[in-house]
Amino acid sequence: MSPIEKAALEYAWACVGYGDACVVEDVRLAVRAGEIVGLVGPNGAGKSTLLRAVTGDARLLAGDIRVRGDSIGALTPRERALRVGVVPQQVSAAFSIPAREFVEMARHPHLPRFGTYGPRDDEAVERALVMTDTAHLADRPVDALSGGDLQRLALAQALAIGPEVLLLDEATAHLDLNHRLQVLDLVRSLAKDGMAVLAVFHDLDMAARYADRLAVVHGGGAGDADVPERVLTAEMLREVFGVRAVVGIDPITGAVAVTPVLRDGAVRATELNARVLVVGGAGSAAPLLRRLVLAGLRVDAAALNTGDADALVAEALGVPFARIPPFAPMDAEAAVQVAKTAEAADVIVVTPVPFGHGNVDNLLIAVRAGKPLVLMGSVEGRDFTGGAAESYWIEALERGAMLVNEVEAAEEAVLAVVRRRGVEEGDHEGPDGSP
Amino acid sequence: MSLAALACSLALVIVAGVALGAVRVAPGDVLASVWRAMTGRADSLYDALIVDVRLPRVLLAAIVGASLAGAGAIYQALFRNPLADPYILGVSSGAGLGAMLALVATGGATALRYGMVPVAAFAGAVLTMALVTRLASWRGRLDTASLLLAGVAISYTLAALTSFLMVFAREQMATVVFWMMGGLGSASWPYLAMVGPMFVVGAALAVISARELNLMLLGDERAGHLGLDVDRFKLFVLAVASLLTAAAVAVAGLIGFIGLMVPHAIRLVIGPDHRALLPASFLGGGIALVAADLVARTVIAPVEVPVGIVTALLGGPFFVWLLVRGEGPR
Repeated sequence: MSPIEKAALEYAWACVGYGDACVVEDVRLAVRAGEIVGLVGPNGAGKSTLLRAVTGDARLLAGDIRVRGDSIGALTPRERALRVGVVPQQVSAAFSIPAREFVEMARHPHLPRFGTYGPRDDEAVERALVMTDTAHLADRPVDALSGGDLQRLALAQALAIGPEVLLLDEATAHLDLNHRLQVLDLVRSLAKDGMAVLAVFHDLDMAARYADRLAVVHGGGAGDADVPERVLTAEMLREVFGVRAVVGIDPITGAVAVTPVLRDGAVRATELNARVLVVGGAGSAAPLLRRLVLAGLRVDAAALNTGDADALVAEALGVPFARIPPFAPMDAEAAVQVAKTAEAADVIVVTPVPFGHGNVDNLLIAVRAGKPLVLMGSVEGRDFTGGAAESYWIEALERGAMLVNEVEAAEEAVLAVVRRRGVEEGDHEGPDGSP
Repeated sequence: MSLAALACSLALVIVAGVALGAVRVAPGDVLASVWRAMTGRADSLYDALIVDVRLPRVLLAAIVGASLAGAGAIYQALFRNPLADPYILGVSSGAGLGAMLALVATGGATALRYGMVPVAAFAGAVLTMALVTRLASWRGRLDTASLLLAGVAISYTLAALTSFLMVFAREQMATVVFWMMGGLGSASWPYLAMVGPMFVVGAALAVISARELNLMLLGDERAGHLGLDVDRFKLFVLAVASLLTAAAVAVAGLIGFIGLMVPHAIRLVIGPDHRALLPASFLGGGIALVAADLVARTVIAPVEVPVGIVTALLGGPFFVWLLVRGEGPR
């Protein structure tokens, strides 16, 4: 409980919702000064509701929400506004006042009843306009501005107050890439200067890149906030979002990067209980793996090096494969595993992977397994084994392997084999292999 | 500078309102008569006409017009709807019913009426407001859509009740009907003394709420984010608008379009900032009703048209023109 003492914003067993219905229950979350905490989760999970409960737009039904130790219920709207700045999902401005006055309105809680805006207010407004890169809009009427400009003006409003806590509810949703980065960089630097930020993110990459900690809001609760690397995992994405994704590290920013591969909901339910073995590597198999999984087939991959592009995709898709260490050649154990998988397969596909001494055994097993075989592309330029791969390739063609060029054609060929096996009538033509 | 121009226009139209009528008086004589009355030396019939008949009537018209326009400006800000006015919420009907009850209950006792009618009108307006807001917040938060719906429903019910009451007010039928159509014919100094303070208090409270009304333009939630206690402010400012509406309805009955038209037109010209819009609406409402009353008195003199008919006749087409014209100068 020690960090809770210092928390600028704290949810203590909070249940928030609308009417009498809890949307998110038993939330424990502390946002300290100087950090950005991100909320991620599917639509309707209650991320915004959590933020909205702070300003009374959603109800706090049980537990407590405290701003620097003070329960929000004990603060007047004015006191709360002085401490907590809010940037909502959407800002509307259906009236014609200059942007500067629009931002100036946010100084309201600083003014006494009969006060008028003074130089200190002007200064705060000007600073907020400059920080949000909206100074050039200051004299334009707000009803003539774009959604993105309005969004930045809403941020300027929040900053003009001078709060210690900033709530961002999808605040960058209407911004182009440049302004999105600009606003988030600004928020980052505000946090560095001691602001506590709680932000709802839909873009997981942005969440990973800008948030110090992330909490997943899902299934009526909120998980513990932790560093993005520990929160944004393939398992979490599959469980919470129903999406199979490759989770890696962005080589440029060093942040966790999520590449969605497919949605669970998009996988075709099929009675074809067929198994396919895909020989790939170096990313040559990834598109086909995805298509075959989507088609509802049971897919295996042959041996792949850990960290290989195809290995990452196979992991994300839940496609089993014989794992070999990075840059290491296939060992006997891997070969045995691939051979067993080939034995169980109904059809085998060889994708346009280059063959060297390290992986040519995959091809050998595929060719000698005696199963229907689909070869993609040509062996020309891919044989780095001094002729071994080419001789297996020729052998496969002699045994009646189908030759295709495109991923679509490969998928069609596999499905044709599977259907023929299922119906045992052969009413489908085999693919002709033309490009 | 717009405010100064409006104030000058109001002064001019007031002098014109006093000078013109069945008997014409030169503007210089108007000022002279007023001066003589103020120094206690009024003697002629002209002086009596000007000081005891025309002047209170014109000033009353200015106050009623200002009250209606101010109330309209408040409602339009609160509901972010340029078509909102004291009638939509049922406040006018509530004030009307209250005033009507007072008229019927006091019979011909005029002196009583001076005290009873405005109090009853304000009570009617506030009770209606309470009923409407209670109804609107039945299922939780006081939101704008339910407020408007509840207002319209209550408004029709109260209007029906008022008409029903007329059955019992047979002897006063002429007065009551004339009052219902909106008239300033019975204006006098006691009337002015009665609604003047209501107007001054209402107008002062409205003007100091201008900054909050500006926040309301951003929407209930955003206004809350920026520190406004939205629900409380709504109730407060609705009470202020009720006071203004009651002041107008008590002495002049139901006069339409001023509350709708004046703030709308003024917003088109000077923009939506209530720090300017509210004072301008008060002045504009005064100008509009003094002018309308002048037309009502003179157009087919010596017969007097109820001013409510004039505002509706001028206001309807004006409003259509606003709609057709689309965007304002800004």
